[in-house]
Amino acid sequence: MARSSASIALESRRVSRRRFLGAAAGGAAGISGILAAGRAPAFAQTKELTFLTVASFVPETDKELKRQLDEWGTKNKVKVRLDIIAHLQLQTKKAAEVQSRSGHDLTALGPGLGDADLYFDYLADLNDVAADVAPKNGGWLNPDDYLIRGKWKLLPWWMPPFPMAVRTDLLEQIGEKNPDTWEDWLRVGKKGKAIGHPFGTAMGHSGDANVTLLSILWSYGGSYVSKDGKTITINSKETRQAMDFVKRLYTEAMDPEVLAWDDSSNNRCLNAGKCIGIHNPISAYESAKKDKVLVPGTQKEIAEVIDHINTPRGPVDRKATTGFWCVGIWNFSKNQDLAKDFLRYHFQPDNLAKWVEAGHGFNMPFLTNLTKHPVYKSDKQYRFIPEVAKVSVPPSWPGPTTAASQQVWDLYIIPDMFAQHATGKMTADQAIAWAEKEMQEIYAGRKRRP
Amino acid sequence: MSNLSRWTRRSRPLFTLYLPVMPFVLFALFPLYFMLITSFKKNAELYDVNAVPFLIGRGVTFAHYELLSKDTLFWSWFVNSLVVSLAATAISVVLGVLAAYPLARLKFPGGDSFGVAIFITYLVPPTLLFLPLSTVVARLGLSDSLWALVVTYPTFLVPFCTWLLMSYFRTVPKEIEECAMLDGCNRLQTMVRILLPVALPGVICAALFAFTLSWNEFLYALVFVSPAELKTMTVGIFSELIRGDIYYWGGLMAGACIGSLPIVIAYVFFLDYYVSGLTAGAVK
Repeated sequence: MARSSASIALESRRVSRRRFLGAAAGGAAGISGILAAGRAPAFAQTKELTFLTVASFVPETDKELKRQLDEWGTKNKVKVRLDIIAHLQLQTKKAAEVQSRSGHDLTALGPGLGDADLYFDYLADLNDVAADVAPKNGGWLNPDDYLIRGKWKLLPWWMPPFPMAVRTDLLEQIGEKNPDTWEDWLRVGKKGKAIGHPFGTAMGHSGDANVTLLSILWSYGGSYVSKDGKTITINSKETRQAMDFVKRLYTEAMDPEVLAWDDSSNNRCLNAGKCIGIHNPISAYESAKKDKVLVPGTQKEIAEVIDHINTPRGPVDRKATTGFWCVGIWNFSKNQDLAKDFLRYHFQPDNLAKWVEAGHGFNMPFLTNLTKHPVYKSDKQYRFIPEVAKVSVPPSWPGPTTAASQQVWDLYIIPDMFAQHATGKMTADQAIAWAEKEMQEIYAGRKRRP
Repeated sequence: MSNLSRWTRRSRPLFTLYLPVMPFVLFALFPLYFMLITSFKKNAELYDVNAVPFLIGRGVTFAHYELLSKDTLFWSWFVNSLVVSLAATAISVVLGVLAAYPLARLKFPGGDSFGVAIFITYLVPPTLLFLPLSTVVARLGLSDSLWALVVTYPTFLVPFCTWLLMSYFRTVPKEIEECAMLDGCNRLQTMVRILLPVALPGVICAALFAFTLSWNEFLYALVFVSPAELKTMTVGIFSELIRGDIYYWGGLMAGACIGSLPIVIAYVFFLDYYVSGLTAGAVK
């Protein structure tokens, strides 16, 4: 019987077991070849400069950066791509890129300079770019701070300085004026708390807690590592004084909720009309202004009664730190020269100036001329930002930045030390002994990164 | 029948079923409710510590939904999530069926160990796997494409589907397959024509779980895909609406509400299958 055309067509489409196995083996061999070769097929290798950065608090900053990248790409006939992620995601992304030796050409690094030590073997040397950029911008603010093992493995890019944000109407209400020292802030906080408006600074596991508590430690003359980057110096009478001060600040001027705060909590506390003052960049004020947040129970915008003043000084010094955001080039990038060229372009005075302006002064470069940018005179709120920048040092100060100092930051050793004493769980001596042991282990390399 | 006994009969479910279940329903629905009202609140109200957090006190706003639609690539992320989840689910369920059938039905050397090995694979957390997988993805040239996710999601979906389907297939009597074989079906035909229709609740249950796991996945989507237009919803919302120490809570909650819809719809349609798929073999 003649077979129907349909059944013939069906048979011709039927795959024999042998053909299937052959095709599967071929496919597997192809994939094995790609994996063994260690590189993607040629069709995926188009010339493109890619840049991974973190979402800025001010979205216009990212738009301006993209504009500059596009402009540079058009001029140089290079395809460009700017990828933006939340800063909390950056650690994971960097780890994956280093593991696979692939990913972006340029990458944001931070917060802190420690990434450069941690990824020292995977970052391209930027000595030449750093030397080109500095003279055009009046020089780096503190160039010795940015050298990792004596080399420029990254370019310090921007920092959000930490002034004090204060409610002027509440200050007036409690009869206070121009608090300038940490002791002044304790007094202001006590009076504020008595009328339902405590002082607020994070004391849990957050970047803000690291920043403020390190600032207090230094202001009282303490530090946790010496200049040699080896000797742990946390066990000192200055640390004890700082801890006693923080205990009083916590118990007399703040609410216990600060132990659970993340980086956004102090912003909320100020903008909700609760906190009399917070130690924070200008982000809280900017968002209050944008969202037209009102003082509770009134029709007055809260942004109108917020002022920013200098970071407080202590009995010994006025010091602060902040997130040091940096930029680097992976040495496994195939476009290292292009990436350096773009960095030179972005760090031109005009381009940096436009970028700072777009960020309303939130992102301050580590270059002397940029600390005098007109944006800091455009609003009285910004007037102290250059002053704070001048006293801002890396978190490991006076020691050098290393992977160990980054680990002290990442494991929140300083906030935990202060919190354990402030909450009464440990005496000052016990908390210091605990922190000292942790730090000694970290600096001896016995602890791995979390 | 007296009025009292009629009332008692009618109201019994109220006291024996609805009221006892009510706290659990409220507990389960509370996050959704809170997401929904937060997404409609004005920013000024979100900041107000004196406002009642469980109600909308100062009028409804659609600004957060507008922000998502106009200022972000939200709908592209939504479509990306949908495409990746559907593709990964389809691949994983097919592979899961093909793996589960022999493990449930055939006797072969090492079969039991193989089943345990698959289970152990499922226990390896993605937080450990993402580093080696990133190397594989890069070498295959799949970085920064949705294929990276379609290929990697089955690494955790296939073991799960296999394990779930193995259990379900074992509840189906062997005898009906043997009848089919006596009538001339081969193994594959028996599986496709006899077993799968009977085991449909189990297959749908596996598909639902796989879809949900893919839809919610965050880590691989973050690590393997960078371009904004290719991000999935979970990563896109997080990237765009958490800026430094400013969280766009309204937008985050609006994204979470819309993101919940496909899962809610899927479960509403397939709830019966889901329940019977999960409870198969519970009573024998």
